[in-house]
Amino acid sequence: MNRLDMSRTFKTEAVVLRTIRYGEADRILHLYTREHGRLGAIAKGVRKPRSRFGGRLEPFFRLALVLHRSRGDLHTVTSAETIEGYPRLRASGTGIAAAADACGGVLRLLDGVDEPNQPAYNLLCRYLELVDADPAGPATTGAGMVAFRLKLALAAGFAPELSGCARCGATDHMTAFSGAAGGVVCPTCEAGSFPFSAEAHTFMVQALGRPMADLLPGDTAAVRQAGRAIGETLEHHAHVRLPRPEGRLAA
Amino acid sequence: MSEGPAPLSRLTAELSQLPGIGRRTAQRLAFHILRSDESDARSLAEAIVEVKEKVGLCEVCFNLAEGPRCRICEDPSREVSLICVVEEPADVIPIERTHEYRGLYHVLGGALSPIDGIDAEDLRIAELRRRVEGGGILEVILATNPTTTGEATASHIADLIREQTQVTRLAAGLPVGADLEHADEVTLGRAMAGRSNV
Ligand SMILES: [Zn+2]
Ligand SMILES: [Zn+2]
Repeated sequence: MNRLDMSRTFKTEAVVLRTIRYGEADRILHLYTREHGRLGAIAKGVRKPRSRFGGRLEPFFRLALVLHRSRGDLHTVTSAETIEGYPRLRASGTGIAAAADACGGVLRLLDGVDEPNQPAYNLLCRYLELVDADPAGPATTGAGMVAFRLKLALAAGFAPELSGCARCGATDHMTAFSGAAGGVVCPTCEAGSFPFSAEAHTFMVQALGRPMADLLPGDTAAVRQAGRAIGETLEHHAHVRLPRPEGRLAA
Repeated sequence: MSEGPAPLSRLTAELSQLPGIGRRTAQRLAFHILRSDESDARSLAEAIVEVKEKVGLCEVCFNLAEGPRCRICEDPSREVSLICVVEEPADVIPIERTHEYRGLYHVLGGALSPIDGIDAEDLRIAELRRRVEGGGILEVILATNPTTTGEATASHIADLIREQTQVTRLAAGLPVGADLEHADEVTLGRAMAGRSNV
């Protein structure tokens, strides 16, 4: 007889968002899975040099996993195969920073959501692929990181209103953005808002509408405003405060 | 929920704060301490107090030290032109056990991990830079863990100091005594990339 009850093991595909050392030689993995959304798992003995998991159970790896279901919050990893290891991303400081920012966004924005969100999963994999293809390319710039966050917000159901005033519905003269209102606002509704340029508006619309790979560069001021807009929208509506990728633009 | 006498609950609660100790293990340990000799229990309590009172961090390398400097920095036979950079004080022990290294150390206090909010300022990277800029350092060996965060830390430090001194990274590869067929592709890939002349 198999030591494991087969009905309690299941396969899933996942990206490792974050790892935490646990106990003597174990590691807790925060996973974003294609089939089950956010899951936590424990990888026993993984920090020993001869662990059969090798170097796979590390942040940003895309894996085919077999997990053993447990009664608590943490499943146990019984096997892991690499789908994508993103070696170029991993060899670059910029690549790692951008991947960590993307994974941090998924971790916090979709925390506690154990339902699958295929668009969010695909978006994350696509983004990691682009970063891996060129760690010094457009995906890791402030514009690339802000665009990822916008698309993630859309996938999570928190996309900002960009077509008309988020308070009164007027469609002319959108000169400000309000996180509380969750979108652009007109001059009569602009209490609690910040100035929002036409370039920032264009940047957000195209970032939401175009595939990640075809992203058009925005000017620094526009990207910074777009980053602030999405950051404040998520703070008000998703109640998460994420590090601001647009802060990197100042450097 | 009754947990027995208050001092026992308190001990259980304190023990369960330790890493890797769950509520049930904490309870078992607490009962064990309760049953043990008074002198054993006192000796454990004293050891805990003593470690906090007497062990601090070395002012030079941030390894554990019983005075202002650790034993390695105090040892006149060590090679002062070599610095081996590790994440945690516990990482010094296995390297010392190899007897292959006679230089000094620098303990960072962790690894860069933006997702956990650990940035360069949270580690002792500026202190390392100052040691290197002080001169007389021929080589800095980066011995952070071969993990994503450890590699990110190593590449960040290498970028900062490679102008001033030779920077090397601990080799990564196959564990001695293991079979090739059981090696995972990540480890094997690193071993292939880091192959050396024989
Ligand atoms: Zn309005
Ligand atoms: Zn020292």
